[in-house]
Amino acid sequence: MRTADLELAARCRAGDADAFEELYRQHARRLFSLVMRMVGSAEDAEDLVQEVFLQAHRKLAGFRGESTLGTWLYRLTMNHCLDHLRGRQAKMSRATGSFDDEDAIEPVAPAPMVPQAISRLDLERAIDALPPGSRAAFLLHDVEGFEHREIADILGISEGTSKSQVHKARLKLRTLLRR
Amino acid sequence: MNCESYEDLLGDYVDGARAADRPGDERLAAFERHLAGCAACQALVADFTRIRGMASMLEEHVPPPRLWATIAASIEERRRNAFSAWVPVAVAASLALFIAGATWLAWRHEPSQGPQQAAAAVEPGAVPVEQHYEEAIAGLQQLAESQDASLDSETRAVLKENLAVLDRAISESRAALADEPANALAQESLLDALDTKVALLQDTVALATDTCSLLNAAADAEKELNQ
Repeated sequence: MRTADLELAARCRAGDADAFEELYRQHARRLFSLVMRMVGSAEDAEDLVQEVFLQAHRKLAGFRGESTLGTWLYRLTMNHCLDHLRGRQAKMSRATGSFDDEDAIEPVAPAPMVPQAISRLDLERAIDALPPGSRAAFLLHDVEGFEHREIADILGISEGTSKSQVHKARLKLRTLLRR
Repeated sequence: MNCESYEDLLGDYVDGARAADRPGDERLAAFERHLAGCAACQALVADFTRIRGMASMLEEHVPPPRLWATIAASIEERRRNAFSAWVPVAVAASLALFIAGATWLAWRHEPSQGPQQAAAAVEPGAVPVEQHYEEAIAGLQQLAESQDASLDSETRAVLKENLAVLDRAISESRAALADEPANALAQESLLDALDTKVALLQDTVALATDTCSLLNAAADAEKELNQ
């Protein structure tokens, strides 16, 4: 896997246009989906994915294969998304609430349970209402299927923080989906 | 222990961790015992499992075909800019070397030239590498000419001009070597000009190839959009 990544990265660095398109085709759908769910707008998602791949093209010289190309691309993507959301929040000039708005997480509450049948749309809306930090960890873990150690690598946080963020996201979703 | 102290283990449990698969993991075993008698944690596990299951089945959002075309066009534009910036530098460096070689040759023609210097010089006409350059240049030139139509007129004009400068440098180096075939610096100047020409032709071919790929990609994307 790593060898294939290094070879593909080397081909891209050598200016092989087909190799970079191959990299794009391998990852674009998943990255675009992730960005769509992070920023909630197709237009912003297009701009961000474009920025990610252009930055990847510039930075490939620095790819040493310590992580997979996929993980490396996810890291660039999440940095772009979180920067974008921070910028958006700064523009809104909200006087209250931190970026990750911990207060928005409600404490553990027993029944009633989440309905058996959750519609895809309800879940998408509920995910959109999560604070950015826990939304990022939740999307990477429960939607994309990454393990906590990989999420820690992608988001630059500890494994324990990743677990905690996913837990908070699930709690918040539970509350939102019960309404 | 209360429910909150098992937060991390509850997550692991929802993700499929079981004490039976992890012998010696006393905390997980303790959580499972707690879970068996805690309705709140059981409800959390059930809800989290449902949420996790639904999340894993969410459909992918498909990026529009124009996204790749836009990215490819931006990369191409950047490459062109880098290319335009590189060519004058390479030509200038080549000319600087040529001028240095020519100046040195002129100095060598002064009457002070001694017999020892002539003896140390290389055999006349001994530039074996030159032939390889000529072959590479001929092949690349043929390839570049066959793809010439892919490049826009402005790029073609810049390339033509730079190739003409290099050709002049090569001719002048050869003329200088005809006067004094053993001159090492003149040979170096010639080989450097040939080397620069090879690099310029290689970049020309790469640029033309990339432009072709880009045009094809844009045509495919347009076709896809029209379908």
